Amino acid sequence: MDLQSLKKQENQRRIRKGFMWALFCAILWGLWYIPGTVVWVLNPFDEMYAEIAATNGDGMSLIITAVLITAFNALTVILALMVWNGVLGKFGEMKRTLKEFNPCSKWFFLASIFGGPIAILGSFIAMGFVGGAFAAVAALMYPVVGSILASKWYGEKISKRAFAGIIFIIIGGITIFGGGLLNEIGAGNVVWIGYIGGLMAAVGWGIEGAIAGKGLDIAEPDVGLTLRFLGENIIWWVIAVPILAILGFPMFKYALMVFEPLTMLVLVFAGITFGFCYVTWYKSFPLIGVGRGQGIGNLYGLFAVVFIALFFGDIPSWTILVGGALCLIGSSVMFSEDAGQLESLRGE
Amino acid sequence: MVQTEAAMEAYNAYWMNSPLPAADVLWMVVILIVAILALWQARTFVSQF
Repeated sequence: MDLQSLKKQENQRRIRKGFMWALFCAILWGLWYIPGTVVWVLNPFDEMYAEIAATNGDGMSLIITAVLITAFNALTVILALMVWNGVLGKFGEMKRTLKEFNPCSKWFFLASIFGGPIAILGSFIAMGFVGGAFAAVAALMYPVVGSILASKWYGEKISKRAFAGIIFIIIGGITIFGGGLLNEIGAGNVVWIGYIGGLMAAVGWGIEGAIAGKGLDIAEPDVGLTLRFLGENIIWWVIAVPILAILGFPMFKYALMVFEPLTMLVLVFAGITFGFCYVTWYKSFPLIGVGRGQGIGNLYGLFAVVFIALFFGDIPSWTILVGGALCLIGSSVMFSEDAGQLESLRGE
Repeated sequence: MVQTEAAMEAYNAYWMNSPLPAADVLWMVVILIVAILALWQARTFVSQF
């Protein structure tokens, strides 16, 4: 076999792996909705929600409780990522990357600001002030922001075919959540802060992907993502939670009450799904590019609906079936892209 | 702190309509299987690239 064929074969293998990681991300992200939903009804979060809602209203209570749940989620994600890096033998690499703050770690800490308090908090704000379907649709827009930024910032090539795939998946996602979205917006009592939250989610995750793509030029995704979550833990536990406690919210009271077997079990499974979904998302970027990685990762909308139907028994409506079909068309368009098109992810 | 009766009722209600048997345990098994598969693929990936 000549050098050219070997190069082509290697390239095809790299792309296959890239799509595989993005698909793992979508499946695990979809699965995350199971522990991510049920944790809200468990103690101490249900009591925390009730206590804050009684004095500050439902919207504010949802956001404050979400901050504590997200902080614990970030903590269990770090535990899951320690297992991931331990199995892969990457602790030495982690120490090296952490020491190299200027060329490496700063990108991941920056990514944690956009992914954590901007995107995740924005998503919860959208959920609290508009509704869950709107939050999901708003988040689906992030590959558009990510691919435009990656293209402008470091010349990542995004073919017309890949862009068409991303658009198909986004339209599919909008169709999936369409019924709920129309009901929520039609309800009439929508506050503008909910739309700001939706914008924060799309822009935050899009920027995070583009920044991570830059950091991943010189660092490993497994290690880079762990540092990104180290940054997010600092943001929640050193800044956000203490500030909210100073403002008078019972953050530490309920944080100390979380050590209950079922609550911990659900949080651990949320950590495994969220941590592994994020690490596979980051792993796909250097192999197929930020735009494609985020586009395929967007299939989480479809997987979330499927898993919710399977485990919660919520029967999908026809809009979900049509949206699912559109998502599958979009993925096929991207999967079937000629490997030669993806040989170089960046513009020369 | 232990779970209150109301919290356990709300938790168990999630799995009541599932078409799958033992859905309250099965979701954890599915997550573990997918997570182990991903970890196994990551190990293979490290040795290949």
